[in-house]
Amino acid sequence: MTTDSIPSASPTLTKLIGELNKLPGVGPKSAQRLAYYLIRLPEADAYALADAITAVKQSVVFCQECQNLTDSSPCSICADSQRSRDLICVVEDPLDVLALERTRCFKGLYHVLHGALSPLNGVGPDQLKIKELLSRMADGQVKELVIATNPTLEGEATAMYIRRNLDRGELKITHLARGLPVGGSLEYADELTLSRAFQGRQEL
Amino acid sequence: MPVPRQYHSEALTLRKFSLGEADLIVTFYTRDNGKLRAVAKGARKNSSRLVGHLEPLTQVSLSLAHGKNLDVVTQAQVMSNFPPLKDNLESITKGLYLAELVDGFGSEDQPNPALYNLALDTLHAIAKDPDSDLPLRYFEFRLLTVSGLTPELYHCVECRRDVEPGAHRFSPNVGGVICLECNPEEARIRPLSIRALKVLRFFHRGSPAQARQLRMDAALAQELKTLLASAVSFWLEKEIRSNSLIEHLQRPPQTSV
Repeated sequence: MTTDSIPSASPTLTKLIGELNKLPGVGPKSAQRLAYYLIRLPEADAYALADAITAVKQSVVFCQECQNLTDSSPCSICADSQRSRDLICVVEDPLDVLALERTRCFKGLYHVLHGALSPLNGVGPDQLKIKELLSRMADGQVKELVIATNPTLEGEATAMYIRRNLDRGELKITHLARGLPVGGSLEYADELTLSRAFQGRQEL
Repeated sequence: MPVPRQYHSEALTLRKFSLGEADLIVTFYTRDNGKLRAVAKGARKNSSRLVGHLEPLTQVSLSLAHGKNLDVVTQAQVMSNFPPLKDNLESITKGLYLAELVDGFGSEDQPNPALYNLALDTLHAIAKDPDSDLPLRYFEFRLLTVSGLTPELYHCVECRRDVEPGAHRFSPNVGGVICLECNPEEARIRPLSIRALKVLRFFHRGSPAQARQLRMDAALAQELKTLLASAVSFWLEKEIRSNSLIEHLQRPPQTSV
């Protein structure tokens, strides 16, 4: 059922439901519930939400260095002089930067690809920020590139593609360790994860 | 007799999509039921028992429960990852091309064990020789055969006379070879060399092992690639998206930094 077919006394409300219905994971019923929730919201809260959406569309840009989403370019991470500039960690999405920053154990810079190679969905190298990564590496200042793409088939293919295009002797290319997650169970691990966990075993 | 709520199946994982916070919708090609789309609840969480078992290009043993719209994956166990398929970029892209074709030609609730076995056999062949295009060419031809769409290779599809050596063309939409005299309306006619015709006939009659031992020069390989791709996309009624990455990787490398 499309929202266009809903008879309504308020075309404005129908339009809002239609717009909310376009959000990922929001079906027509959820869109209606959200729309009625927004109507009941205090005016200040509703305007704050509208202002936040307007502001994000007006001021969020890609960082010229790492391609992360930021209010000002270069972003706060790239502008931080305390961070090591010869170490770059490549991630798929901006949310991955947040996850890695929460660990507080990486002191280099990032590069956000905004996706992974996914030929079945028409995502090739030209749809990702790979060209920007290659030109960022061109001056030879970076000593180590840590590839932190997801351990999925698409993530692995992306890592292989980057490695192939940056294969120069003096650059160290690493990727995050593969193995068992904390709280996981050997019994349910797949054979690829287990074999990589064995390959990456460490002395106690 | 009521249909049991739970059932088991052996399948090849073709693709997956994210659903909601942590779920996946996975497309499988099963040995016993044909194409199947199912929900794997919580499968994107690191702690899920399904994680790692539902990656594309994996042969899995599945337990499923009938659902209201889509069936639900309750258990999955990897049977084969086709080693070393996933250690090489060329073999991954070729495997994904195969997955797109199986997804396109496979039908839900219409089992085709020949297609299932052909896909598994081809993935093993790609893993064994990632640089060769022959496993994919053989797969494309046999895919048409196991789908009941074998191209006619011996008689003109229009006048039914035997084609004479060197005097033949090919039309994917009319369904095979055409002699030089016939010009059916709306036929998309392509040139067909005698060498390419011989290879297609060999694919038709020969075993997979024999077909994969063929050696061909670049011109013949390109002719077969264009010809079979045109036949496959005609029946699929759409462009094959994953082909662009294969072609990208086969282009001469750009200047590396």
